[in-house]
Amino acid sequence: TFALEAAATEWNVSVWGKRRAFTEHVEKLAELVAEKTGGDFTMNVSYGGLSKNRENLDGISIGAFEMAQFCAGYHADKNRVVTVLELPFLGVENLEQEVAVARAVYAHPAATEEMAQWNAKLLMTSPMPQYNLVGTGEPRDELAEFKGMRVRATGGLGKAFEAVGGVPTSVTATEAYQAMEGGVVDTVAFAQHAHLSFGTINQADWWTANLNPGTVNCPVVVNIDAYDSLSDEHRAALDASIPEAIEHYLTNYAELLERWDSVLAEKGVEKVEVAPEVIAEFQAVAGKPIHDAWIADMEAQGLPGQELYDLVVSTLADAKGGS
Amino acid sequence: MEPIEIGLWVSGGLLVFVLLGMRVAFAAGLAGFVGLVWLRWNGFDYDPERFWKAVEISVKVAGLTPHSKVSAQVLSLIPVFILIGYLAYHAQLTTALFTAAKRWVAWVPGGLAVATVFSTAGFAAVSGASVATAAVFARIAIPEMLKIGYNKQFAAGVVAAGGTLASLIPPSAILVIYAIIVEQDVGKLLLAGFVPGAFSAIVYAALIIGIAMVFKTVGPPVTGFTWRERFQSLPPAMPIFAVVIIIIFFVYNPFGDAWGTPTEGGAIGAFIIFLMALYKGMRWGELKRALLDTAKLTVMIFTIIWGVLIYVRFLGFAELPAAFSDWITSLEMSPMLILIFILLGYAVLGMFMDAIGMLLLTLPVVYPAVMALNGGEFVSAADSAFGMSGPMCAIWFGILVVKMAEFCLITPPIGLNCFVVAGVRDDLTVQDVFKGVTPFFIADAATIAMLVAFPGIVLWLPSLAG
Amino acid sequence: MAGSAAVLEDSSLLSRLDRALLPIERFGALLSGLAIFSLMFLAAYSVTGRKFFASPLPGYVDYIEAAMPIIAIMGVSYVQRDGTHVRMDMLVSALRGRVLWFFELISVLLILLLITALTWGAWEHFDRSFDCARPLCSRDSSIDIGLPIWPSKLVVPIAFGILTLRLLLQAWGYGRALILGLENPVAVPLNLSVAEQARIEAEALEGTD
Ligand code: NA
Ligand code: NA
Repeated sequence: TFALEAAATEWNVSVWGKRRAFTEHVEKLAELVAEKTGGDFTMNVSYGGLSKNRENLDGISIGAFEMAQFCAGYHADKNRVVTVLELPFLGVENLEQEVAVARAVYAHPAATEEMAQWNAKLLMTSPMPQYNLVGTGEPRDELAEFKGMRVRATGGLGKAFEAVGGVPTSVTATEAYQAMEGGVVDTVAFAQHAHLSFGTINQADWWTANLNPGTVNCPVVVNIDAYDSLSDEHRAALDASIPEAIEHYLTNYAELLERWDSVLAEKGVEKVEVAPEVIAEFQAVAGKPIHDAWIADMEAQGLPGQELYDLVVSTLADAKGGS
Repeated sequence: MEPIEIGLWVSGGLLVFVLLGMRVAFAAGLAGFVGLVWLRWNGFDYDPERFWKAVEISVKVAGLTPHSKVSAQVLSLIPVFILIGYLAYHAQLTTALFTAAKRWVAWVPGGLAVATVFSTAGFAAVSGASVATAAVFARIAIPEMLKIGYNKQFAAGVVAAGGTLASLIPPSAILVIYAIIVEQDVGKLLLAGFVPGAFSAIVYAALIIGIAMVFKTVGPPVTGFTWRERFQSLPPAMPIFAVVIIIIFFVYNPFGDAWGTPTEGGAIGAFIIFLMALYKGMRWGELKRALLDTAKLTVMIFTIIWGVLIYVRFLGFAELPAAFSDWITSLEMSPMLILIFILLGYAVLGMFMDAIGMLLLTLPVVYPAVMALNGGEFVSAADSAFGMSGPMCAIWFGILVVKMAEFCLITPPIGLNCFVVAGVRDDLTVQDVFKGVTPFFIADAATIAMLVAFPGIVLWLPSLAG
Repeated sequence: MAGSAAVLEDSSLLSRLDRALLPIERFGALLSGLAIFSLMFLAAYSVTGRKFFASPLPGYVDYIEAAMPIIAIMGVSYVQRDGTHVRMDMLVSALRGRVLWFFELISVLLILLLITALTWGAWEHFDRSFDCARPLCSRDSSIDIGLPIWPSKLVVPIAFGILTLRLLLQAWGYGRALILGLENPVAVPLNLSVAEQARIEAEALEGTD
């Protein structure tokens, strides 16, 4: 008999920006998969060379590349289900909890079904800490100061600031620095790594340490056909590498967060502690009402909004109980 | 076959189609599309059954590119700048400028020619297009120069050269296109254009004064304007200054936070000039005409943009830009020498090609290579080959290539500005204009050498803006 | 640049079709011009609101992005009609008669191939964002205020569809010139030398005074 020669598999992966904490799990995944298959299964990670970030899901749908990352808030109508993870004030406290809730939602049939419309399979999340604000001038630590504030915040976060009179103004991550400098936005909501990587921290006078309004959800997806046509060996290598890649991401991010305070000190950025009653006030306007509106909106579109929301709440409770 | 080889074959094919006279935008789009199909089918090992699958994927990738690429807020700067140029014409800013420049500076040797250079530089501040500037001033300035005995060829040369200033002095469509292709800060690039643009104008003026003092081909100083006449000439030209100040303040405010984006600055500038044009008697008929002309030039530029970006998408899949960078950095030559060769390459290419097409076709490959030469996109000034950080190198190289593109507007055989001047004037042949423009050609070469040797001329203003 | 059309006309069917398509193309270009004009007002309005009334315009970026395809693409056929799209005509301008028509025909057919593919691809792009089982038929929305994106995506296949018709007419025009060995065929942009072109551009600028 003759041995079937295992065909080499080469995947193109579309991400954007430059290599940073946000893409470390993708890089790690590529490394692990190549390692486990003796170099038979490789991934080329392309930073913007294959697609614009808001068209990554289209690229997956077309089959232009096999794997990609995108953020739910870029185009809510493309991915209504996973936007549940971007609701403001969900109460997620750390990246481990973020991973747990994302994993639960990604496994929900409604999420799988909606992504299948794009020929996409949800592989893993890119866990992000709370999106606190940086800004220039006097710290905005009272709700009244959010009125008329142009804030770079997408998805549910944008909605939260809108609820207190802010104006979400989306510039791409790469333009955020210039937008702050040019006064197009007054404040930028980013995770810490992005404040570093896109330079917004260099423009900033202050950073809200405890506003914790919520975060964004940026899944990594694969093209279903490409996934299905992997050899058993390659698919096993891919599946088995995911937890390890996430683990690597978390370790890396933890190191970055450890450095964060010294970065603030070094750049002379004031660490603003928002008063608990202000946060409570914010939450009263932008928490529950926005959650309810989201659930109603999804139910009206025939999606199990309540069920998804409850899933997030219960998974989060479990994750908190477990830790 | 390796993707890189496919990248090279397709790029070679593109060059042939462009040389054969196919519209640049469509030649690039077609090359990109064919390249995508080839690359994909190559990935399928040329399995005949999967050919149509390769076509289908490529059709969809190429087909989403035009919408995807033009739907960007920063690109809205281009039509706004073009609109300013057309409205400025109706606001009669050109004559107003020339009159003001004449009354203020024509008392120097070669006065009218110097006034022409400064008024083209002033008009450049509201016009993004060099050729239009040359056409307009050929009508206004040449007759006046001839009246007082200027050499015909020299007068034409002044206008052809002065016209080139429009693409360096902001607003400039070419600079915006450069910024978009290389994904750099548009505002900083526009700021960076001011000083080298003004510098070029001063070099031209100095050259004219020098020639006027040595040769009799240049007319005498024009004197006798009273201070009253001088100040009277200013208000009609005022919108120009307003627009310049607004655009600067929107990009960089020396006294505090900038006012907004360059697009917004441009839009406010356009609005002011629109009011001026209304005041000067522009009505719906003229406005409609201006809008159609603006649309036409805008669409022409955007077609090249999305066409070339289909090709760039293909290059991304073929990994050609990365390979070219690796090759350039592996050369055993000093980075400065390589840069000079690249600039010379642009000088040659620019003799035959349209500036925008030339930049769009070459930059996707050349720009990463230049950045790599300097030490990478994120290099610090201290570790770099050219003594400047990555972002500053991007700005410096941008100004250099745009200056090259300007230079090409007055070089034979296809120096477009020279053709335009000859086209406007019945009494001038293209050869006349080329002859007259020769001194400026040398001045430009010297200016470029200065910009290469002293990058501070380019980088001073943008570095102030952080 | 402002180029007046160097397209000849007569009473033939081809020329009549050419002139029938022209108003549609001009309308597309005018839409683009009007969109640019509105952009000016929109930006002025947004800046004023922000600077003086602390009330920035929500969704400003979304509106601009939605308008860009109209601005950038709607007039593509109008520009093709009189040959304003940039090219290097050193070689072509040296050619005459049948050889020239042959080159032009090949060129137009290649463009037709590209644009047919792009029309299909652009339609698919629109179709992916369009699903009438959903509110506002939207399956793709803008980032800040959630505008449906399909109308802006639909602009592209429409503009390319018109361009396809234009290219068919030009292919017919050049093909006819090639077969009949015509000197000055109708319905196609006639080659001007660089100098002639420059003169027309300059005159067009003058003419608007
Ligand atoms: Na200019
Ligand atoms: Na030239």
